[in-house]
Amino acid sequence: MENIATSASHLRSEDVNVWFGERHVLKNVSLNFPGNQVTALIGPSGCGKSTFLRTLNRMHELIPSAGFAGRVLLDDKDIYGAEVDPVDVRLNIGMVFQKPNPFPTMSIRENVLSGLKLTGRRGYVAEEVVETSLRRASIWSEVKDRLNDPALSLSGGQQQRLCIARSLAMNPEVLLMDEPCSALDPGSTRRIEETITELSDSMTIVIVTHNMQQAQRVSHQTAFFLSEDGNPGRVVEFGKTDDVFNNPVDPRTNDYVNGHFG
Amino acid sequence: MSELDLSALPRPKSQPWQVRNPKNTWLIAAASVLPMVLAVIITLVASIDPTVATILVFLPLQIIATVSVGQYIYGKKGRGDAILVIFTIFFSTLVGVLLVSVMFSVVVNGIRAMSPQFISQNNVYISPTTSLAYGGVGHAVLGTVLIVGLTTLFTIPLGILIAVYLTETRGRMRSTVRTLVQAMSGLPSVVSGLFIFALLISPNFGNATGFTQQAGWVGSIALFPLMLPTVARIAEEALRLVPQELRNGAYALGAPAFKAFWQVTLPAARSGLITAALLGVARIIGETAPLILTTAPANNTNLNVFEGSIATLPTYLYSYISQAQATSQQRAWGAALVILILVFVLFSLARVLGSAKSTKAKKRK
Repeated sequence: MENIATSASHLRSEDVNVWFGERHVLKNVSLNFPGNQVTALIGPSGCGKSTFLRTLNRMHELIPSAGFAGRVLLDDKDIYGAEVDPVDVRLNIGMVFQKPNPFPTMSIRENVLSGLKLTGRRGYVAEEVVETSLRRASIWSEVKDRLNDPALSLSGGQQQRLCIARSLAMNPEVLLMDEPCSALDPGSTRRIEETITELSDSMTIVIVTHNMQQAQRVSHQTAFFLSEDGNPGRVVEFGKTDDVFNNPVDPRTNDYVNGHFG
Repeated sequence: MSELDLSALPRPKSQPWQVRNPKNTWLIAAASVLPMVLAVIITLVASIDPTVATILVFLPLQIIATVSVGQYIYGKKGRGDAILVIFTIFFSTLVGVLLVSVMFSVVVNGIRAMSPQFISQNNVYISPTTSLAYGGVGHAVLGTVLIVGLTTLFTIPLGILIAVYLTETRGRMRSTVRTLVQAMSGLPSVVSGLFIFALLISPNFGNATGFTQQAGWVGSIALFPLMLPTVARIAEEALRLVPQELRNGAYALGAPAFKAFWQVTLPAARSGLITAALLGVARIIGETAPLILTTAPANNTNLNVFEGSIATLPTYLYSYISQAQATSQQRAWGAALVILILVFVLFSLARVLGSAKSTKAKKRK
């Protein structure tokens, strides 16, 4: 696994605002994601945390009505700069979605290599990449004898880890995860959490989750998002995970993490 | 806790809600048979026309019987149920009979003309009175394949491009294009033929000499407006069925839009796009009016779609059915059967090609 970068980049958002049509959904979100740290984004449904996650690799631009203001800096370089191609941004900042979405027409192996093929780096295609990526996503032992089977033959949890492996094959500096375990059983969830912990050695991870225990288990720092009474979503509290859960500054954070609302 | 029995059990013969009172079973059987027996007797005794009897005697009797039995067994609910069931069965039978009788008459009439030579030979030296042992539709089959093939060659890429524009881009003209495609699908085929005739052939529409003679390629162009909306609309549906998550997955890996489309969306929509292409072909393969206006009939085999007269199956059928001789009429029926077979082959191909990959994926799931 020599070819894996061990120093991860550092990501920072400055006054990120998002609109869908005329509706302001996210207001002045400034967060810091230091390298090799796992950051959890928590908050009730509809508070804009998934939307915020998508602004970190410009995926929200795929929604036609989305509008954006602010800056997102990857190693002090603005990914919203005039000269930056969103396609290049997504090369460095990978994303795993809520629902596993392996490419149905491809085999397991082809799915892992799909990123390289899709970005025209066929020359780089090697058997090692398949094995390394699948190992890092802790799924290698389950699929190593059936790499040419269709990806859809895997179970939901395996499909999700395959999608993680697919992102890892691109060797991203930052990995964004949008509720990656919400559709999975406890066993698969535990394995993905272990994967996240191992991956944080080599990359920066931002994860959206509705599971408080999961946030406490995997993350170093936590941001609590809230949108009240139809106002745009904001960050109410941001700090070390321990502090946010055990010693929150804002009473609303306390209510939320202890299950009093949301 | 006592030990659990985890072994599998055989499936029971009937479902709990299917258990019927035997008396009701007899009633239902009576209601299913008696009206028909009664109707047959009345028809024979009063010697009414069977078609009239079906509608005026059998249908009312059947409705009365079913409704009263339904009312008796299930109450008010059963009455409404009975009426719906009767009408559903009656009208679906009607449609089924219509479809089967069309096929049946074509097969029965066409089979008499059918022989290997009828499919392979052309029509040279054949007069309206020549025996069916000579001549055939070989030249017309080839003409149809050439003209339809030429249309397909430029319509399918264009139709799929339209579908891609409608589903994969955020172009401003999308609603306009969609409306135009829908309007196009209502275009009468004879109007399309007339338009191309006036534009390219007729010397009377402003162009003193006419741009060209009647020829196969002009026919291809006249078929184009008929095929395009079919292909575009079915391809649009096929692309729309590809989940957005797949496209997002490709974009999240850093794929440029074109590669994401080419390597992820297109393979996922493959079977739907094949269906679109073949249904488009099936749409125009029997078109007659545009070809009558834009191609000149021929008896010899002409493989050049760019010059000269060329025969096609529909125009062959049209020219022979309007002649009085029995052999001519039979040749027309034979041509109709050949068209039906061609369409059947195309639809079978569409199903086989379209489902090959998707069933494999499903089976493993």
